Amino acid sequence: MSDYPQNCNVFYMSDTRMLDQGTTPIRFARGWHCLGLASTFADGKPHAIHGFGTKLVVWQDSKGELNVLDGFCRHMGGDLTQGEVKGDHIACPFHDWRWGGDGKCKEIPYARRVPLRARTQRYETAIVNGQLMIWNDPEGSAADRDILPPELPDVLTDKYTPWSWHTREINGSHCRELIDNVADMAHFYYVHFAFPTSFRNIFEGHTATQFMESTGRPDKSGGYSDASSTLKSEATYYGPAYMINWLTVDYKGFVTEVILINCHIPTGPNSFTLQYGISVQKPEGLDQKTVDYIAERYTESFGDGFLQDVHIWENKVAVQNPLLCEEDGPVYQLRRWYEQFYTDAAEVKPEMTDRFEFEVDTTKANEYWHAEVAENLAKRAAEESVSH
Amino acid sequence: MASFVPTSADTLEEQRLYTSARMVDVQCLDCLARVRAKKNSEHHTSIQWNADAVAACPELGRRDGSSDSRDGHRGCPRLLASIDAAVRDGNLPVGAEDGY
Repeated sequence: MSDYPQNCNVFYMSDTRMLDQGTTPIRFARGWHCLGLASTFADGKPHAIHGFGTKLVVWQDSKGELNVLDGFCRHMGGDLTQGEVKGDHIACPFHDWRWGGDGKCKEIPYARRVPLRARTQRYETAIVNGQLMIWNDPEGSAADRDILPPELPDVLTDKYTPWSWHTREINGSHCRELIDNVADMAHFYYVHFAFPTSFRNIFEGHTATQFMESTGRPDKSGGYSDASSTLKSEATYYGPAYMINWLTVDYKGFVTEVILINCHIPTGPNSFTLQYGISVQKPEGLDQKTVDYIAERYTESFGDGFLQDVHIWENKVAVQNPLLCEEDGPVYQLRRWYEQFYTDAAEVKPEMTDRFEFEVDTTKANEYWHAEVAENLAKRAAEESVSH
Repeated sequence: MASFVPTSADTLEEQRLYTSARMVDVQCLDCLARVRAKKNSEHHTSIQWNADAVAACPELGRRDGSSDSRDGHRGCPRLLASIDAAVRDGNLPVGAEDGY
């Protein structure tokens, strides 16, 4: 979202539609957020993660547990992420106050006693699919472990390649822009270069799912454009910030199962850190080198896909009143679902969580798109025949 | 308190148009589920359930509730058939109005 003035209507006709940019929330979503692969935090050192308008410190204690606290010491505000792990505790670099994973100050080496009120913000943790999850709730509720994302049975076994994990900071956009993609059928053609032939959504409880089938555009390269491959995709958000995307890719009859994790941590009201990870089911009968090569290509292609989105997000404005056509997905219902995570638990309305299903009619869109692509290919062929 | 706050009152009317305008009650022919549905075209369908309807639907009730199941991703074929029947009987008009 750029800093464009909110009411840039210097002159307009009475029937001109205005963009309502609204105001973005100051609070951060309630729910489970993924901080990254658990293994990256398991080296006995403090790690800094920007999130929820602050900096968090992550470290592993002697029992192998990962702990997450607000990164700033409640004594004089020292930066714990620059401190040291001493025993099970994180020690502040400023005056060596030692904090435990339960949020309590355990020791002040130079003090007669620790003040009783020495408690800091702690985040409850869980490890799912080899990733570190933390529970965030501005109301301070206990973590709801019933709504953790599911464990993927075969990932992290020999059957799948290890997570290929990537991080990207996004500035100038609220993370709702990323969520909007769940209901956005047409951007798959324009931004990701694929024909979405089938597109459905189900929103229910804390989950929002997109079902899509697509084939690549032959007139483009990059993204999902490979015309010899078709994609069956099932992508579910479990809560506000963690999506599992089950992808079945059919490349000239060669079928591969790919799992894509798409998660984020909000860092400020208009910034977030995007993380994505890819794990590929190892095709049988192939040597390790070929398997690695295939996994790398998928990582590259889905990584490209994210970068295509990022460019749009970093340059668009926020819009509270999107104008939709018949071929668009249920953006308003998706946002109504997403609102639950920004609402006090007691105020969540039934319509935010009630089951909602939507099937987009993609027939006309694909007719027009195929005509456009045919024209692009004809133009290209004509240009090539002139240049030869 | 709403979190993404529109600055224009017209936006609230837009929200109403896109989420509830022209939604028609459809009664499942096989169970007591009653949903609200809309069809902007033959291939488009919008279905709004509420808690009572979900509780009444045996098909959804048979879903595996464990969190690692993708069972919830299925819809109810009986309800879809009931929506088709509502269209055939003229109780559910097919067609869009200015994109909603």
